[in-house]
Amino acid sequence: MERIILHIDFNSYFASVEQQANPFLRGKPIGITGKSQERSVVATASIEAKALGVKTAMSTWEAKKVCPTIILWPGDPEKYSDITSRFNRILSEFTPNVSQFSVDESFLDITDEAEDYFGATCLAQALRERLREEFGDHITASIGIAPNKLMAKLACESVKPNGLTVVRKDDLIDFIDTRELDDLCGIGHRIKHRLNALGVETFKQLREFPINDLVDEFKSYGTWLHAAAHGHDSSAVVSSTQKGIRTMHSTGVKSYGHSYTLPQNTHDLLVIKRYLLGLADKVAWRMRRDKTLARRVSVFVRFGDFTGHGEQRTFNEPTANGLKLFQIAWRILSPHLSPHSHPQPTGRARDTDIGTTLSRPTSDRSQSSYQGLGSPPNDLVRLVGLSTSLLSSGPEQPPLFKKDRKMISVFSSLDKLQHRYGPGVWQRASTMPIEFKSRSSGFNYDHEV
Amino acid sequence: MMAMHELLNDPVDVEVSFSNNRVVPRSIRWNQKDYKIETVNLVHTAREGHKKMFYFSVSDLNNYFKLKLDPENLDWRLVELYTDG
Repeated sequence: MERIILHIDFNSYFASVEQQANPFLRGKPIGITGKSQERSVVATASIEAKALGVKTAMSTWEAKKVCPTIILWPGDPEKYSDITSRFNRILSEFTPNVSQFSVDESFLDITDEAEDYFGATCLAQALRERLREEFGDHITASIGIAPNKLMAKLACESVKPNGLTVVRKDDLIDFIDTRELDDLCGIGHRIKHRLNALGVETFKQLREFPINDLVDEFKSYGTWLHAAAHGHDSSAVVSSTQKGIRTMHSTGVKSYGHSYTLPQNTHDLLVIKRYLLGLADKVAWRMRRDKTLARRVSVFVRFGDFTGHGEQRTFNEPTANGLKLFQIAWRILSPHLSPHSHPQPTGRARDTDIGTTLSRPTSDRSQSSYQGLGSPPNDLVRLVGLSTSLLSSGPEQPPLFKKDRKMISVFSSLDKLQHRYGPGVWQRASTMPIEFKSRSSGFNYDHEV
Repeated sequence: MMAMHELLNDPVDVEVSFSNNRVVPRSIRWNQKDYKIETVNLVHTAREGHKKMFYFSVSDLNNYFKLKLDPENLDWRLVELYTDG
């Protein structure tokens, strides 16, 4: 039996939610930003902003330049997360075969429920009406219906906003041939350029291109490209229960990680240390929550010019102690951030790191010279990140020293507090001067992980 | 007049009605001034630890208000105000 797959995608999701909530934003170009608007990107542009040239992931200063009237609006991840959950619950009213693709799009296998394409169209209209009842008129979605996921997504994206596009099996080739290569999910700019270099500019040319030559160029991906150009895709709609996903407390995770863009690019080792410690505590809390320990820490920094450095270290005793993770991470990272002292205006430094600045060692970039505060802005640290892997389950080995054993019992109490009152209920004194603001992205919400 | 957007956490008096198993804010009194709510645009929830908070995005003819209800102690707060320019 031919499958019928429905792909649904909210239009300008975060912006539409804000326009639904606040009627004074409707009909205006708005851009949903992250924590600080100055150093943020537009996570979602409203339909009106897109029409004026604002694109997703554009920096806020560029968005202002392209569209001076844009209203930059701080994102509200908890609101979007609630809408996403309700969206998914509504989808499951129509079929159990729902696969969430991102926070605002999902695939539904409606073969049994719809029976044919007329039924599928009726189901899509009913779904759209149900969403309107739940969320209002201003959160709209585009829907694509086709014999497989790849074509359903391509159909969905062909008419925005609020489109409903049905592509039957017999019409697949005609439909594909109306689309650009990089409209297809799986063909990005790089693949497109490589195809162009082979003389392939259209799907028709891709179909006619010898599969062996595609495989020579793209390895196994060449086979996929060949099938995609014919409108073929056999991937199944696998719901989260079928995947065995146990939501956020899953034991199937292979790593835990957090990264954070600093409020300002900085030389200041103390600021970097504080954020790294804060990130280590976030990672450690999630591991303790999931009763998991790690034997490997990876740490990375990104500089102002968007180059970066990352390293990892494996150790023998697995741990879920944020301070230990931080200490290992800092030992790895600090040699790559060569410090330069600079004069302290007042007071006396108590911490050896206070009053020092850093820059990359000259070996990283031979053309640059680094002189503390006088360093070029591109050499300042922009982002820090830390992750753990080589995970195992079970309680941490009791430490030898009484002081460390006490610390474990303190963590147990702090974890109970955090579980009850949420993140932010406790913080190390040394990280008090810093603040982590929540973010939204296309694939998950900070507060949920 | 420029549009104004403020993040607040002010206690606020809210008059509500109950219909179809829903709480519907009707008017608010804030800063010694009454505002009649014209539309409830969106209702959502968010967790604060174990607590589930309810947020009502409502508006009158000139203002957007985000109200927060703590169902444990029935405390209402005005957490966001946007006045159209």
